[in-house]
Amino acid sequence: MMNKDKIKLEPVVNDNDKEILVEIKDVSKHFKVAGGVLKAVNNINLNIKKGETLGLVGESGCGKSTLSKVIMGIYPPTSGKIIYHGKKEMVVSKNNLFEYAKMAQIIFQDPYSSLDPRMTVGSIIEEGMIIHKMYDKKKRKERVFELLELVGLNAEHANRYPHEFSGGQRQRIGIARALAIEPEFIICDEPISALDVSIQAQIINLLYDLQKKLNLTYLFIAHDLNIVKYISDRIAVMYLGHIVELSTSDELYKNPLHPYTKALLSAVPVPDPKKEAQKKRQMLEGDVTSPIDPKPGCPFAARCPYATDICTKDFPKPEIKAGHMVSCHHVEKINNLN
Amino acid sequence: MNKILEVRDLHVTFHTYAGQVKAVRGVSFDLYEGEILAIVGESGSGKSVTAQTIMKLNPMPPTQIERGKILLGDKDIVKASEKEMMAIRGKDISMIFQDPMTSLNPTMTIGRQLTEAIKHHKKLSKDEAQKEAIRLLKLVRIPNPESRIFQYPHEFSGGMRQRVMIAMALSCQPKLLIADEPTTALDVTIQAQIIDILKEIREKTGTSIIIITHDLGVVANMADRVAVMYGGKIVETGSVDDIFYRPAHPYTKALLESLPKTDTDKNTRLVSIEGTPPDLLNPPVGCPFAGRCKYTMKICKTQMPPHFEPSKDHKSACWLLHEDCPYSDFKNPDGGGENDE
Repeated sequence: MMNKDKIKLEPVVNDNDKEILVEIKDVSKHFKVAGGVLKAVNNINLNIKKGETLGLVGESGCGKSTLSKVIMGIYPPTSGKIIYHGKKEMVVSKNNLFEYAKMAQIIFQDPYSSLDPRMTVGSIIEEGMIIHKMYDKKKRKERVFELLELVGLNAEHANRYPHEFSGGQRQRIGIARALAIEPEFIICDEPISALDVSIQAQIINLLYDLQKKLNLTYLFIAHDLNIVKYISDRIAVMYLGHIVELSTSDELYKNPLHPYTKALLSAVPVPDPKKEAQKKRQMLEGDVTSPIDPKPGCPFAARCPYATDICTKDFPKPEIKAGHMVSCHHVEKINNLN
Repeated sequence: MNKILEVRDLHVTFHTYAGQVKAVRGVSFDLYEGEILAIVGESGSGKSVTAQTIMKLNPMPPTQIERGKILLGDKDIVKASEKEMMAIRGKDISMIFQDPMTSLNPTMTIGRQLTEAIKHHKKLSKDEAQKEAIRLLKLVRIPNPESRIFQYPHEFSGGMRQRVMIAMALSCQPKLLIADEPTTALDVTIQAQIIDILKEIREKTGTSIIIITHDLGVVANMADRVAVMYGGKIVETGSVDDIFYRPAHPYTKALLESLPKTDTDKNTRLVSIEGTPPDLLNPPVGCPFAGRCKYTMKICKTQMPPHFEPSKDHKSACWLLHEDCPYSDFKNPDGGGENDE
């Protein structure tokens, strides 16, 4: 399936074609835990462009949620900084979080625990507007009805409580809440993982329509790679706190360059028995190594079938190869690139 | 092939404060030797309850098997006493669960948990049982099983624990292994390992497997036959190719269309199924999917369709397949479906 000779050199990680909205500059986040330092996120450089959907994929424990919390300003980074170029320019810090939250919002994975069961849907959606002193009381109520309709619910739902809704409807309430204060940037942290298959498509379509209508920028975190591919313009693959590959979503799926991306993509079962039977699996042995006091070198070295001495010694610098940003010592050799 | 399990017209209800939840409403299927049957459905479709009822794991009351038969060989599990079930569980039928974190006992070593069943059912000595435990751990590809058997569950990762669960389930060479969402809690690369192990075990031991899942990718990868459940009923059964390439029920078809394929482009909209599944406290009289189906006819809301057979061993409960139904595009799914080659 992978045609190695036909890799086109496209400047897919060229950052100049669109304005940058969020600049993640050399960000690390380390936690002190019993037994050492847990290096959840390490020296990440990433730009999120205006109007795009950037997908962030990786397995549990790879640091994708920690990174999203650093970007949201919930965790201060251990080193590095988040620079925001939206309605206001700012370096995200403790002092301007209130202002930042007006522009950047988050949608959570679990629609059951992320809504206060004692508040009506209307007051859940209105709360953000009250906190940010937006509009007067009458206008706020109108906005609540508008938002409910925008996400595919009815105005009369405003007086009900979260437990009266199904998972998919609750996720719509979560989306309405995030939209209430008119943000530009939304982090979607696994927004569909807790939903049933037949409901997932509804929410994905809704997020897509809202992006078009309101000119939103998304950081879309998920582990379902088929969905990420569908919704994202570009995808970043994380492994043990590092971004190992970044490319446009089509390119990443057609020509994955990093051995981890290759293994990850080949492990995803596709709903097509014939393709499944033909597919050559690149089975990864073992489990993800611990992020507590990680060894120097490439984070993937312990499970990589191509690993050599250099991989356990030096961290591979991210380079632009065949239009992908990839960090692997042997990327040319593995992919027959010159 | 020999039939090893026959489920006939199974009805299971739960008594709750709100009333009777009719979780399983007339489920029938067969399972043959060495076969992998996937039961797919959304949460609340009754797939897990069906599986748990085969093992009789649900506490009764509040669970009640209203009627139906579950024949394992010539034994009817519905009528079996708890004592008889003790002899069947683990020996003839065993089960692995979704969450490997909570289904192992945290206070016992892996070795002791593994040998418990072996000692009980096979009457082996301690040494022999331990040797058997090591052999089983090797079968599920756990490195250094000799030292691993003295460790506790918390020293194992999620994928490793699920493998221990599989080893434990296999310890008495059951005829049937029921895997209830075995990979849902695991990462994709680990999921691939577990699927591989399950397929390998089927090859090596000839155990039949019922896999319960909502992930159609997993189904496409490992199942021989598929039963699609919706609202407590099986709406379609068929070979894996029938289901994926010639779906004959609007629900199956919509479900497949709602998934983005690897070549789905960003500008094509996902086909979504509007609405939500039926409430099983007051299940609909007619077809459970009638409320969300784009082909709904009058009869769909008043009468449950029988199982029609569009092709051999492919059954679908949908009025569209009735010979006098005027809509023809559904009747002959073998002719010219989009996915056909």
